[in-house]
Parts: sequence; C-alpha cells; structure tokens
Amino acid sequence: MLVFFLPVFLVFLMVGLPVFFALLFAPGILLWLNGQERDIALLYRNVYNGMDSFPLMALPFFMLAGELMNRGGITTRLVEFSQALMGHLRGGLAHVNILSSMLFAGLSGSAVADTSALGSTLIPAMEKNGYSRRFAAAVTAASSVIGPIIPPSGIMIIYAYVMGESVAALFLAGIVPGVLVGLGLMMVVRLLADRYDLPKAERIVTTNQTISPLEDRISFLLLRINFAGVLLIVYTLAKSIVSAATGAEIAISNWVPFIVLLPLAHVVLLRMRKTVSADFRVICKKAVAPLQTPIIILGGILIGVFTPTEASAIAVAYALLISFFVLKTLKLSDLPAILTKSALASSTVLLLVGAAVAFKTVVSLSHAPEQLAALILGLSDEPLILLFLINILLFVVGMFLDAGPAIIILGPILGPIFMDLGVHPVHFAIIMSVNLTVGLATPPMGLVLFVASSVSGERVETIARAILPFLAVEIFVIFLITYVPAISLAIPKLTGFVH
Amino acid sequence: MLQVLRAISLVNSAILALGRHIAWMALGLMVLVILLQVVFRYVFNNALAWPDEAARFLMLWMTGLIAPSAFRWGGFVAIDMLPLALPRMAGLVLTIILLLLSLSVLAMGLQHGYNHTMGFGGNFDSSSLRLPLDLIGLESLKVKLRYMYGSLLISIILLLLVNVELVLRTAANLISPDASLPPTDAPSDLQRAD
Repeated sequence: MLVFFLPVFLVFLMVGLPVFFALLFAPGILLWLNGQERDIALLYRNVYNGMDSFPLMALPFFMLAGELMNRGGITTRLVEFSQALMGHLRGGLAHVNILSSMLFAGLSGSAVADTSALGSTLIPAMEKNGYSRRFAAAVTAASSVIGPIIPPSGIMIIYAYVMGESVAALFLAGIVPGVLVGLGLMMVVRLLADRYDLPKAERIVTTNQTISPLEDRISFLLLRINFAGVLLIVYTLAKSIVSAATGAEIAISNWVPFIVLLPLAHVVLLRMRKTVSADFRVICKKAVAPLQTPIIILGGILIGVFTPTEASAIAVAYALLISFFVLKTLKLSDLPAILTKSALASSTVLLLVGAAVAFKTVVSLSHAPEQLAALILGLSDEPLILLFLINILLFVVGMFLDAGPAIIILGPILGPIFMDLGVHPVHFAIIMSVNLTVGLATPPMGLVLFVASSVSGERVETIARAILPFLAVEIFVIFLITYVPAISLAIPKLTGFVH
Repeated sequence: MLQVLRAISLVNSAILALGRHIAWMALGLMVLVILLQVVFRYVFNNALAWPDEAARFLMLWMTGLIAPSAFRWGGFVAIDMLPLALPRMAGLVLTIILLLLSLSVLAMGLQHGYNHTMGFGGNFDSSSLRLPLDLIGLESLKVKLRYMYGSLLISIILLLLVNVELVLRTAANLISPDASLPPTDAPSDLQRAD
C-alpha cells in the first residue's frame, strides 16, 4: 500500500498542491488508510526534528548576508569592477554581466537575487550600449544560475543537510563547476560577438572615482594580506610537489613564510600599480571589501576556524560592518525590512526541509527506493548511461520545480541508488545541484526567466528563445561535470575535505 | 460570507504583523547569539553551551511565526501551471479543492502538534536553556522542551487561520469576480505578477 505514496505525491504535486503540503499529504493519507496512526505522529515529529537543526541555520544567515550586500550598494561596485576588467572586449557588457554574476555568486547563494540585482543595473546599460533587450535579459538569466553553484549556496546547504553530507565539501566542490559555467557562457558571447557584431564598451564609465580614506586603508591592507595568502598557497603547493608528499594537504597554519611573503606581495602590488590608471585602481580598491566576503567564508571553513553556520553569521556581521561603517549605505531603520524579507524567504524553505525529513522517513519505511532502484537498474547497470538518464530526468524536473524543493524531494530517492553504483556522494550532489539550477533558466517554469522578464519588461517567451545558445553550453558543462568527477572532486580532495 | 472573510482577514492581518515583528527580531538575535559563541570560543577561550540551543529556539520561532505570512502571500512553492491554465471557474474550483487538502493536512497536524507539545515529551527540560532568574535572586529555571515544540504548533494554528481565509477568498472570487476583498498587506515586491 505504502508503495503508492510516490505516485500519489506526484499527482498532487502536478495538480498544484504546494510542495510542503504534498510532502505531508501523500504519506499521511496512505498511513491513515493503512491504519498506522502512530506513524503519522512520527511524521509530525520528524517535521519538527527536521527543522530543529544547527547546520540548517546557515540558510537564513546567508540569505540575510546576501540581502544586506545587495541593499548596501555592493552590486554597483562589482559591476564597475567587472567592467574595468572585461569591458573592452567585444561583447564587453555581456562579459561584464557574466563576470559580475560569478563575483556576486561568492556573496549570495541564490540565482533569483542575482538576476534581480544585476538585471536592474545591467539590462538598461546593455540596451543603451546597443544590445537588444532580449539578449541582455537572456545573458542575465543564463549567468545568474552560477549563483547557487559557486559557494555560498542555499541549495547545497539543503542538500548537505537532507543527505548528511559535509557542507564544506559541497561548497568547495562547487567552485570549479561554477567557474566552468561562467567560462562557457563567455565563450558563447565571444562566438555571438562575431556573428552579431556585439559592441565593445568603455572600461571605465565614471571617471574621477573617489574612495573614502578609511576604505582606502582597509583595501590596502586586505589586498596585501590576501595576495600574500595566495602566494603562500602556491608556495605550499610547490613545496608539497617538490617533496613529492603522498597526501598533498595544504596546511595554511605556517606563519613564518607568510610574514616573509607579505612584503613580497607589497612589492609586486606596487609594481602592478604603475601599469594602470588612477580610476582603474580606485575601482579595484572599491571591490576589495565586498569580495572579501567569500574569502572569509571559505577561508574560515577551510582552516577549520568555524563551522559553515558560524561562517554565515560572520558573513552577516561583515556585511553589516561594511555597509554601516565603510560604505555608509545602510541606516539602522533599514534593518527591520531586510531582516523580515530574509526571515520570510527562509521560513518557507525551512518548513519544506522539515517536511522533506518527514517524507524521507516514510520513503525508507515504504521500500520505494529499493523498487525504484530495481527499476532504474533494470534499464542498465552501466553508471555512465544511468547518469545520462538522470541528467535528463533532473533537467526535466528543473523545468517545473525550483532547485531547492527538487533537491529535497529527489535527493533521498536518487542519492542512495547512485552511491551504490559507486558514484561519489559529493560528485552526485554537484551533478544534482548544477542540473537543477540550470533548470531555473529553462522554460516553461524557470523562476529566473520570470524574474528576468519582470526586471527587463521583455516577454518570458522571447527571453526563452534568446537564452537557447547559452543553455546549450550549460548543458554541455553539465555533461562535462557528470563524466569528469575530478572537476567537482579535485578541490575538496586537495584540501582534505573528501577522501 | 464576505463579512466572515473580512473579520478573519482583519484578525490575520493583526496577528501575522505581530508574528513578523517577532520573527525579524528573532533572526537578528540568532546572528548575535552565534557571534557571541564564536567570540567566547576564540577570545575568552570558553565554549558556551547554550548558544547552539538558543539559536535553534529562535530559528524555530522565527519560522513558525513568519511562515504563515508567506503562505498568505502565495510564497509556498507549488507547480501552479494547471490551476492557471484552466478556465477561470475550473481553476478557482481546483484551487479551493487544493486549499481544502492543505486544510486537512493542517487539521491532522494540529491534533498531533497538540499531543507533541502538551504530551509526555514536552515536559522534559531543555539540555542547556535556562531562564537566568538567579540574576534577580530567584532560582534559575530550566526551559521545558514544550516551549520549543510549541513553535510548530502555533505555526500550524496560524497556517490554519490563513488557510480558512484563503478558502473564503477563493470562494468569494468564485461567486462574484469583482467583489472587493480585504487587503492581505502583501508588500509590493512580493505580489506575484500572475
């Protein structure tokens, strides 16, 4: 009897019952028909237990941090910085759009926030520069899916929690795939630039840039520390290769080389400084404080100073510090609205996660995974072919459902099957996440398309057609990620988060 | 029926607004509590026991008190292609049926929520949360788990109220398309384009 709960669930989901209720209704009704009243009590208890979680707290915190950054005027700085780097290329502003998305992805974990923040500044700018509005909207929508792939990422926190994986490992595993999607999109822009003769743009739009003395000093210091940090990583890597150590784990606790490398970093930066204009320098300096966020988050998690949840709280504190004292763009009276918005957005996700945990217990009670596994393995027992089929399934699901709910529903069902086939859990998590996020930009139900449409005023159908070349390359990257596990696993392995 | 709807809508508006206020403060406090934990661990070398549980306590109440607002404003994720694709009347009838299904889930939840909160388990003490009454000369009081469990129960009660309101709204829409319905005070950026 209980076996039917999956089909029942799907039917109710498709006719439009909210996911939260469908997750509880389908198992609930079958338990009730079965006379298993006591298990319904268990269902309720698991909704509560599912939400009562410390790791899950990273979700509202990262949403809050992203919201603070966004309101604090950080978006404009990222766009200016990207333009200074890539604006002079052919199809300049399209490249800027993609690069800004990649940078923004390091601050926020949501594709929708990315689309609305970058779309509202970049789509009008691109139109003025001679792009068609639908092309501008399509680039914005296509590049915003990088948001949840590059850490921090809301859906990866959810996946890690529901599936019992390490958030840190998933975050690290998302870096290369996210960058790959970005590079792939830039290649499409390059090809289209030849075909449609896309314009170049100025690298620096507003001249005579200014920066407050305090921020100037902070940027000065942060730049040197970060650069020395990068040098230290290179040094440690080189040393471990030279000594041919078997396990190349980076130990960043070495202070002596760091102190030696700091002046070196200073000298190199001083040399680089001479080669660029004053405005370029200021634009770069103004991007330092915002872009420190991902470094704090990932650095802190990597060194093991704090857990992902604590890292997310620190990201909030950092965003507050920056926007109140350095940028001075936020007022205390703005806070209630920002907090309310983040609480509102995260509450629905938290309830969903609770319902998913309850759903998951019934999934295992019902023996549905075994039967589904038998069905799937009946198609083929070759993991590569099955992964291909899963890619298609996830892609289709992603067309109709947001990535978060889709992961909550499908993770517990599909995950164990592929783990048994020998697919690495972290690799599978990345396959699922990337697949489902790309689904956000596909018609007919792609959430990002709707946001891009409302930001640009262009019709969803028109954007959906213009986005096709970008989708093609994103699908190509999905296959690349699926069949080359090293893309996802290299960084977590190198840093010792995955063995 | 419109009068009943107006009354419920008024009550919901008031309660949910209060809930939202508590929720944003809870979120702010959560951040502070976690930061306190980090500071105490690294600066004072003293790992506190209570922040973990206190932050979870706040998160549960934040979720419980603000999620009903999200439900009221259409923030619960659903695949709403079918109700939108159907002709107006059929779509509204389907919406009512779906709302009644959610109502049944919530009614079931209410019963189990009450047992969960008021039952045996809720009577246990929380492992680390205390009301520091010793600061004012009284004995410090352990917080019962009931006060944490209650968050979901209260949430379900509020969701039930919202659900009833949504049923009445859809019914009113069904009977007369241009009946003037009371406002839901949804902020403009949350009002759906469709």
